[in-house]
Amino acid sequence: MKRNALVFIAVLLFLAFFAWAGWANLNHRSQAARCLLASTAPRGLGSANGGAARYVSPLQGKPAPAFTLEDLSGKKVSLADYKGKALVLNFWATWCAPCRIETPWLIDLRNRYAAQGFEVLAISADDLDRRNPTRLSSEKRQIARFVQQMQMPYPVLIDADSISKPYGGLDALPTSFFVDRKGTIVAAQLGLTSKAEIEANIRKALGANQ
Amino acid sequence: MNEYSKRVNKSAGQTVRRFGLSMAAAFALCATVTHGQGLLLDRPVRPAMKPAAVEYLYPAQIALPAGKPTTVALHFRIAPGRHINSHTPSEEGLIPTVFSIPDGSGVRLDGAIYPPGKQFTLPVDPTTQLSVYTDEFIVRARIVASAGNHLVEARLRYQACDTNSCSPPRTITATIDVTGN
Repeated sequence: MKRNALVFIAVLLFLAFFAWAGWANLNHRSQAARCLLASTAPRGLGSANGGAARYVSPLQGKPAPAFTLEDLSGKKVSLADYKGKALVLNFWATWCAPCRIETPWLIDLRNRYAAQGFEVLAISADDLDRRNPTRLSSEKRQIARFVQQMQMPYPVLIDADSISKPYGGLDALPTSFFVDRKGTIVAAQLGLTSKAEIEANIRKALGANQ
Repeated sequence: MNEYSKRVNKSAGQTVRRFGLSMAAAFALCATVTHGQGLLLDRPVRPAMKPAAVEYLYPAQIALPAGKPTTVALHFRIAPGRHINSHTPSEEGLIPTVFSIPDGSGVRLDGAIYPPGKQFTLPVDPTTQLSVYTDEFIVRARIVASAGNHLVEARLRYQACDTNSCSPPRTITATIDVTGN
């Protein structure tokens, strides 16, 4: 009888373990689902007044991934060159209609905050065919034409594709990362939001809100 | 205790032991699976790539006179909430929608008539008018097939956006079984 009681207790313990394992698994799944929702929800993005869902990048709070890219003249430009400055890393493309709307806002904000140590690095995601020099030259000319038309006063870098992985894939444009003076990403925006929201994030990068 | 009782007790003990062992094995298995799931879920969750904004609908099969230019209506559908530039975008630099058939597929594209784009404005900037396709659209392709059966992998290149953001240009394949009689 005593043995049977022991077995009965053991079975009860097993069942309790099953229940715990199920609960832990459910908890874990819910957490992962929330995480996934946070990383995909912003694709719908915010309204013009910035009142809708905000993009929460997994890179937020982390150091901006280092890179070295060429500008349109072929000069190498590194993120490290801008140490101590607040930055917007603005990923865009000539074929992106929302980018055409956003660019004049960035130009205006850059001119307004440049004196406080703020800069925009515009990184073009236009395709570049490096195997075909003629086509590459034509593609660069197209980017240069856009830059000239828009009168972009800040550095324009090319070949965003080469750094898309550390920046989360960049499967939608425009995408911007706001980097503070220490090199930490303090905010990110996916898609066109509003000038006010961009300005608020620039101020955050400058540390003006503290 | 008589012999019969001893045998019954022994048999009951064996049953209980077997049951206990089975439960332990089941527990070990479930714990392993649960732990495995936990490990899988601990991996960083990456946002999924946006699926293709355009899909080819029909026809899947076409029969036409061999060597004679024939117009076929090819139906495509765009994902809800998204749009693609028309064949004649409103601004320079925007990527047009273009249908093509690769060389050597037994079928030649002689020309294509695209539908006119719909006027579209982004909510943030009503002054910018875009020429786009939404919902469903039809490309009327004039094709010439040589005699025989050809599994054609036609292509549609497009660049899709929603009201806030754009995806890089993409090319989808429309697989069509073309028979030249």
